[in-house]
Amino acid sequence: MSTLPDLDRRTFLTAVAVGGGLAVGVLGDALPARAGVPATSSALGAWVRIGADESVTILVGAAEMGQGVFTSLAQLVAEELEVDWARVRSEAAPAAAVYANPLTHAQLTGGSTSVRGYFDALRTAGAAAREMLVAAAAARFGVAPGACVAARGVVTCPSTGASARYGALAADAARRPVPTAPALKPPARWTTIGRSVPRVDLPAKVRGAAVYGIDVRVPGMLHAVVRHSPMVGGTVASVGPRPAGALGVVDCGDAVVVAAATTWEAMQAARGLKVTWTAPPTTSATTSATISAQARSLMTAGPAVVAESAGSATAAIAASTRTVDATYELPYLPHAPMEPPACTASVTAAGCELWAPTQAPGLAAATAAGICGLTPDKVTVHPTMLGGGLGRKFENDFVAHAVKASKALKAPVKVTWPREEDLGHDQYRPMALIRVRAGVTAGRLTGWSHRIVTPSILFQRGWVPDGAVDSQSVDGAVDLPYALPDRLVEQVRHPAAVPVGFWRSVGNSLNCFAVESALDEVALAAGVDPLALRLRLVDDPRAAAVLTAVTSAAGWSRPPAGRGLGLALTRSFGSYVALVAQVAQPAPGTVRVERVWCAADCGRLVNPDTVDAQLTGGILHGLSATLFGRTTFERGVASPRNFDELRVVRMADAPVVSVQLLPSTAAPGGVGEPGVPAVAPAVANAWARLTGVRRRSLPLG
Amino acid sequence: MPTLRVNGVASSVPVPTSMPLLWALRDALGLTGTKYGCGVEACGACTVLLDGEPERSCSVQVHDAVGKAVTTIEGLSPDGSHPVQQAWVAGQVPQCGYCQSGMILAAVALLRRTPQPTDAQIDAAMRNICVCGTYQRIRAAIHQVAAATAATAAAGSAGSAGTAGARS
Repeated sequence: MSTLPDLDRRTFLTAVAVGGGLAVGVLGDALPARAGVPATSSALGAWVRIGADESVTILVGAAEMGQGVFTSLAQLVAEELEVDWARVRSEAAPAAAVYANPLTHAQLTGGSTSVRGYFDALRTAGAAAREMLVAAAAARFGVAPGACVAARGVVTCPSTGASARYGALAADAARRPVPTAPALKPPARWTTIGRSVPRVDLPAKVRGAAVYGIDVRVPGMLHAVVRHSPMVGGTVASVGPRPAGALGVVDCGDAVVVAAATTWEAMQAARGLKVTWTAPPTTSATTSATISAQARSLMTAGPAVVAESAGSATAAIAASTRTVDATYELPYLPHAPMEPPACTASVTAAGCELWAPTQAPGLAAATAAGICGLTPDKVTVHPTMLGGGLGRKFENDFVAHAVKASKALKAPVKVTWPREEDLGHDQYRPMALIRVRAGVTAGRLTGWSHRIVTPSILFQRGWVPDGAVDSQSVDGAVDLPYALPDRLVEQVRHPAAVPVGFWRSVGNSLNCFAVESALDEVALAAGVDPLALRLRLVDDPRAAAVLTAVTSAAGWSRPPAGRGLGLALTRSFGSYVALVAQVAQPAPGTVRVERVWCAADCGRLVNPDTVDAQLTGGILHGLSATLFGRTTFERGVASPRNFDELRVVRMADAPVVSVQLLPSTAAPGGVGEPGVPAVAPAVANAWARLTGVRRRSLPLG
Repeated sequence: MPTLRVNGVASSVPVPTSMPLLWALRDALGLTGTKYGCGVEACGACTVLLDGEPERSCSVQVHDAVGKAVTTIEGLSPDGSHPVQQAWVAGQVPQCGYCQSGMILAAVALLRRTPQPTDAQIDAAMRNICVCGTYQRIRAAIHQVAAATAATAAAGSAGSAGTAGARS
């Protein structure tokens, strides 16, 4: 579960520069110094430590936010290392260049890149460690390395009968150079990759023993909460006297931090604190009705940038006998991870320590370094478990608050965001207005035009210039798995001042709703079954396979009485996901999603059970957005502000989800995000087929 | 200074009695397995057992918990061996895990009252929010515990019937 986009290279380099120059490095770097590592534990490269007690510790460069990377990434190392899975444990890697994801070139967890990015690097790391152990054993046995075999944590020399356990070899092995091109096992010999080994993080999680960011306790620590301006983008004008119970009040510019002996006392004190705020000049325009009206105006008159073009969509549509012209609207949406933003910082003369549930330890370190005037190497980041990330914990606003508070109060400070602050001051999924025009002649789709009006995440951050395509805005609108010879995809940047960010599957969750809804509208206009239309258009056999599989599983041609079935497809993050939703209408106008079938081709699977869990979870997360999710603004003030107002899917709302994973030998695809995009159109399509009513505006519930 | 009995241990807690139990547990007693999610008894992440009944600890003041047995996730078993915890691992239920302390305690309370719950009873009792969407696995794990309980009860009654038969 994650989100950071498929950033293009230029964007990415900008992000890397922001992050303090994270370099690429897989092997050969020494393990960064760490406190608390037992002296008997030997580092074999940056990723593996082997203890004299035969324990195997694998460092994981990605954040564990529920997606199972502490298990799946460790499986990649363990496969080549040749160890018993039962001996493997995982630990969060610190912020360091060597742990950068080779796909994104940074230590960022998002964009469904963890397995995709580390797939080769971690197998190589495991194989290198194995070769170091074999070399150490061969030297001890007085034989050539080729005469030795490593298996289940033991190196043996079959010809002499000599053997040694890894724990006894580790200290010797650690003194050897790290091989840069060790031999990797062919997939046919894999025993750990592709197996649903139990997740290593779950025993602690069911005991309440896993430490999330909000759980961190440091000696002498103050508990603090943040309070922002009522309106987004407001800044502190003046702060009143310290209220009773408060041990400190810190003006962070965009917010105040109020510290006390306990979180609750900090919450009480923050409520009692008098603060005057300066509203930004955009406040009056930051009203949902105004933003929506402006989007409609921009749709017809705004400056459009072409993201993808082929043939002549306009001419093809004009020449067709029928046209579909449909405009879809999606609201701002909060991330609302179960764990609200929280960070602990300890700033001293020597440097800064951070304990944070972060998707981007390098960016967190850079944020702290900037505030403290330190070089990033003077910042130590201790990544914690994340109580959900969803893209929210890529941001560093909550890190900055903790660092500023600790610096000002000269004590370690944990800052927790009350839920009202989280929902009121998120970096929201942007709203979007999307117009699709399509031509239909003789039952066939002839031309396709897609124009999206949406605030640009990357422009708002200064990562792309004005007039440039924002890849995040058009993901899911370009590079479709359909043959559309005459097509035009355009983006118009909406200037609304609401802060926007990366929400699980990012642009895909906007554009897939429009594309897949519009295809059903085209099918209706053409008098063709929606599955038949897609199978005729699709130009990628993997996409065709998931469409066929999911409709077969769902009994596409025979929906139960009084139910509608709706189909949608996404090709995103290197994976293919087709969904069929079964919808009922228990009361007039009330959408009830009873079942969702999913067929997915995610390439090679490292841990099929976690893939199933991620896709299922993505579907339910997408369903909350489809049915209920929305943040509205009135003169800059966001609502809803808590879970009593923000409805999300609960047990009683949850449909039965069936996931079918198609066998594939393709490179691994992402799994955290691709479950999300097709949910909304599948449900809307099912509703249209059940009721004859096309819903083009989310949420539907 | 109020005294709370948490997981079988009585402790004086240096907090105002009006403080929600959630924060007394987390910040004063260091029992951080109980989670903050909303503070308005909407999400259920802070669920604990008070005399065996599930309560949202964000909305129970310390003085209302005085004299009652408070059970948090840390007190459910010393080692994760409670049948519900074991079923949660066997079914690979948690994802991020943040809501699961509350979910597990809600399930424990449900199964104590209703050892063989129907799906509708599970829907009614399990009102906590899981943003990761683990509901299907939670439901399956609850049914698994119920089935194991039923099997044990059947074995027990078969055993006692056999004994009775031998005696007669």
